[in-house]
Amino acid sequence: MNSTGYTNGKLAGSVDWMDQRLGLARIGRKIMDKIFPDHWSFMLGEIALYSFIVLVITGVFLTLYYVPSSQQIIYHGSYLPLRGRRVSEAYASTVNLSLNVRGGLLMRQMHHWAADVFTAAIVIHLCRIFFTGAFRRPRELNWIVGIILLILAISNGFTGYSLPDDLISGTGLRIMFSIILSIPVIGTYLGFFIFGGNFPGKLIIPRLYIIHVFIIPIIIAGLLGMHLGLLIYHKHTQFSGKGRREQNVVGSPLWPTFVAKTTGLFLMTFAFIAALGAFIQINPIWQFGPYQPYKISYAVQPDWYMGWLDGAMRIMPSWEWTGFGHTWPLEVFIPAVALPGLTFTLLFAWPFLEAHFGKDKAEHHLLDRPRDKPLRTAIGAGALSFYVVLFGASATDVLANFFQTSLNLVLWSFRITVVIVPIAIAFLTYKICKELTETPYSGQRKRAVVMVRSPQGGYNAYRADPHPDTKAGQVAEPVPIEPESTQA
Amino acid sequence: MDTKENGENINAVSKAGNLSAGNNSHNLANHTCEGCGRSDLAEQERRRLRALEVVAQLSVIGALLCFIGVGVTYWVGGQNQFLGGFLAAGLALLGIGVIVIGKYFMPQGPFVEQRHEISSTVQQKQLFEEALVERGGSAFKRRKFLGVLMGASATMFGITFAFPWIRSLGPLPGKTLFQTWWRPGSRVVTVHGRPVKVDDLEVGGILTVFPEGHAGSSMSQTILIRAASLPITTRKGRETWSPHGYLGFSKICTHAGCPVGLYEEQSQQLLCPCHQSIFDVLDGAVPVFGPAPRPLPQLPLGVDEEGYLRARSDFLEPVGPGFWERTTA
Amino acid sequence: MPYHKKLIRMLLLPALLVLLSTGFAVISIYRNGSFAARTSLVSTGTSVSTGASQAGAEKSNTVSIPKSLIPEGHILFIENCSSCHTNTGEGSYRGPNLVGLGAATVDFWVSTGRMPLSQPGIEAVQKPSRLTRQQTLAIVAYVTSLGKGGPPIPKVNLKHANVSEGQTLFALNCASCHTITGSGDALSNRSFSSSLHIASPTQIAEALRIGPGNMPRFGPRTLNHKEVEDIAAYVTRFIQHPNNAGGVGLGGVGPVAEGFIALLIGLGGLMLVSFWIGDRQEKEESRDGH
Ligand code: FES
Repeated sequence: MNSTGYTNGKLAGSVDWMDQRLGLARIGRKIMDKIFPDHWSFMLGEIALYSFIVLVITGVFLTLYYVPSSQQIIYHGSYLPLRGRRVSEAYASTVNLSLNVRGGLLMRQMHHWAADVFTAAIVIHLCRIFFTGAFRRPRELNWIVGIILLILAISNGFTGYSLPDDLISGTGLRIMFSIILSIPVIGTYLGFFIFGGNFPGKLIIPRLYIIHVFIIPIIIAGLLGMHLGLLIYHKHTQFSGKGRREQNVVGSPLWPTFVAKTTGLFLMTFAFIAALGAFIQINPIWQFGPYQPYKISYAVQPDWYMGWLDGAMRIMPSWEWTGFGHTWPLEVFIPAVALPGLTFTLLFAWPFLEAHFGKDKAEHHLLDRPRDKPLRTAIGAGALSFYVVLFGASATDVLANFFQTSLNLVLWSFRITVVIVPIAIAFLTYKICKELTETPYSGQRKRAVVMVRSPQGGYNAYRADPHPDTKAGQVAEPVPIEPESTQA
Repeated sequence: MDTKENGENINAVSKAGNLSAGNNSHNLANHTCEGCGRSDLAEQERRRLRALEVVAQLSVIGALLCFIGVGVTYWVGGQNQFLGGFLAAGLALLGIGVIVIGKYFMPQGPFVEQRHEISSTVQQKQLFEEALVERGGSAFKRRKFLGVLMGASATMFGITFAFPWIRSLGPLPGKTLFQTWWRPGSRVVTVHGRPVKVDDLEVGGILTVFPEGHAGSSMSQTILIRAASLPITTRKGRETWSPHGYLGFSKICTHAGCPVGLYEEQSQQLLCPCHQSIFDVLDGAVPVFGPAPRPLPQLPLGVDEEGYLRARSDFLEPVGPGFWERTTA
Repeated sequence: MPYHKKLIRMLLLPALLVLLSTGFAVISIYRNGSFAARTSLVSTGTSVSTGASQAGAEKSNTVSIPKSLIPEGHILFIENCSSCHTNTGEGSYRGPNLVGLGAATVDFWVSTGRMPLSQPGIEAVQKPSRLTRQQTLAIVAYVTSLGKGGPPIPKVNLKHANVSEGQTLFALNCASCHTITGSGDALSNRSFSSSLHIASPTQIAEALRIGPGNMPRFGPRTLNHKEVEDIAAYVTRFIQHPNNAGGVGLGGVGPVAEGFIALLIGLGGLMLVSFWIGDRQEKEESRDGH
């Protein structure tokens, strides 16, 4: 096992050294031979992972300048409209880091864009997993880890959004306080404990800071490790196809092909976020001014991943209920607490619900095409459209202004569409899936249809052979990747 | 790009343990159309790879230049668009180089790896369970009481150690949400602390006001509207609350607490900018649209002999959004 | 596929990136005026207020209008306004009474192009005025000669205005309707708070004083003349010429627009990249038997 005489390779010295301590050669070779399927949709999770790395890199830079304090100071920086104003240290340091630190604005904008892309990539990745059934046994636990990661990503987005203490984010915090207040029985206490007293208080900014830069990121990093570890342990799923079976995994080896491709994707993710940070302004807090509890701007929305909650709060009817000697602020509680609670509970439970009601508890490594599971696809599409409509509803005022129509009309149309559209979409999706699965050859490359007249005078139609130019005939049988080399 | 390996070819290569680059260059030849010659295709393939190599080289050279550009831009002042533009372009070009290498010059699938069985055998499960229960539990088997005690003390630790984590976080709500700084006789002041006189606002004017001594207070913020020049009765029992047409309403939305700062003078409505609840000013600020459930509490106002506006009392109900204890007081 | 076609396809992505980058760079340069001196003041034209300020009322903060303009104003009034407001300005069912409304009101509605309406009965919207400054003032002179009352045209001098004071006042009094970036938004029942991106200092001051439409009125005892000038200075300098150091400002509408960009350009672009890197064919003719 611990060889002492390995001297003939190019890296002989270092390989030998490492191997004597870690058994590197055996493990390393095994890892390098790991096969990853090549389908493009399997890279969406990687985009999320790499956005997270960008978030960490840029975020560390921001902590070097940001001061997490609600202490009121006089702003003396370079931005004229704020000079001489009383602002919080948090706000002043963010403006300073944006306008006076070289490269600071780029880092800040990249950080914010990366957060937006991070959550977006997670959501799209989740959709891919959902619609292809990749959450089925044995991957339910990894699905749960993924959902927790989504929740953490959204929470960290919100806490980060609140840190600059500008007019818009302060309003967001005010609403958050009211949302916590709306929770029956414990709401008031919870709100006072989290905020360290009545809103606004002086403690919330430092608390959000430690949550944002330490607690949640550490948990995310740990869970990410778990997510990837489970992925490697289970081996990736794959679509069915020639030579691809439940018992194998077909694709490219980790070293060097997958490493090169994924490094390329990392660089491209970094590049896109950098381009957004360079050219498209995001959250220009110096224009917003500092938060004061009695000031407000119109057209305030949260970032997109919270937009569905804001939209739900807007279109919710005013159903406050007083009963049993208490106030039940359902008009806030239902859209802002119950809705996300239900959403994530259903997401957590979905693999088990589907296994139970679909009576399929078998192990699956081959993915479904969405059309093959019409019911799941229909439910997923309907639910997705529900959240899209809610997101749209978070812009009622902007839409009314843009189309120069009545705010009341826009709001009412959202109240109606939020019910109708998901049902319609689900129904339509179901029909389309059914249609597709029943249509012969659908989803396959078109081929000529040859009509042959028989001597009897009848006509027969045949599908022609695939054109030699297409790759149809070329799909090679997969090749085993050196099973003998992994043995000691 | 979509070429798939010829089985034999790759098999031979992989047996040699060397998944070297470029070995996919021949494979098209095995699927030729009869019309074209073998050498033709091989030549085409060779030229294709050559061109790809050039692309990769150019991208990486471009990336190098861009990164130098990042340095220079930073040196001369770090202008955001140039700094980020160079950074993005450099990263993208480098990324393209790496991807081209990975996609065209490295062994492409399909290679296959067998999956391992995830579940253990029945026997293995049994052995595991036995070890877990027997080996670990044997020490406690005969000492049940000790086990209970240990469990109890661990639970107690969990509970008491949680105290500071919960109770020390903030003060108890008490009556905080039930009252503001408005007192009978409080003078009405602006955000700068200047007392408001009865002729300060024109009809159709608004002002954000606070009780004297508490300018800027979050809970006490009030929107002062001069809706007319004569007293207005917004509700029965509020006949004396609006001297000279001055109406005071809590500025905290009853929905989620945003400042209701948007006053529409013509339609006499207050609109909350957050979720567009609309309150009818002349009807005691009842919500006529949107998610807000309750009217904005009205502040009883009066005028003293010097002409200063004063509050007659605090708001008669808790201001702001609903909460559990709201109706118990 | 011939290799050169593939080559072109591959070069498309970097080319697109470069194109986008240049495009955005150009736009942001254009929108920011210049890259340098981002934070320095951009002094914008205050021409409107100087146009009519020579009438001797230097001490007071109002513009006085020479009486000599009244005859011209009368003619213009008959031509443009009388069909709704009647010859005497007393109004009819088509248009309100103008007598006693004051100079600022008339000047605001006419100079912002809201009046005269292009046809009677439609909603008044801001548009380039088709009357010259002189003609507008003539109409103002005529209408004010019909009856006393109402606020005069404020004389706005931005020279000593304090934009920082203006910013706080703006955030407290204006942002709740016009948004903090001044882009305007929808109010209830088909009314709108207007965008502030094309208002002159005088128009801003007039609007504050008269409260046109649904806007509340800010009298001199609520906002004194200096404070009005501060707001006008902040709006004309920093709302109309925002410091968009970060790039394209997206019209100041905030997170919804940003979310779309993140989803479409950010994630969408990266999905295209994945599409290039990854395998696209998933199943070939293996199901041929159907
Ligand atoms: S906070 Fe006023 S409507 Fe929601």
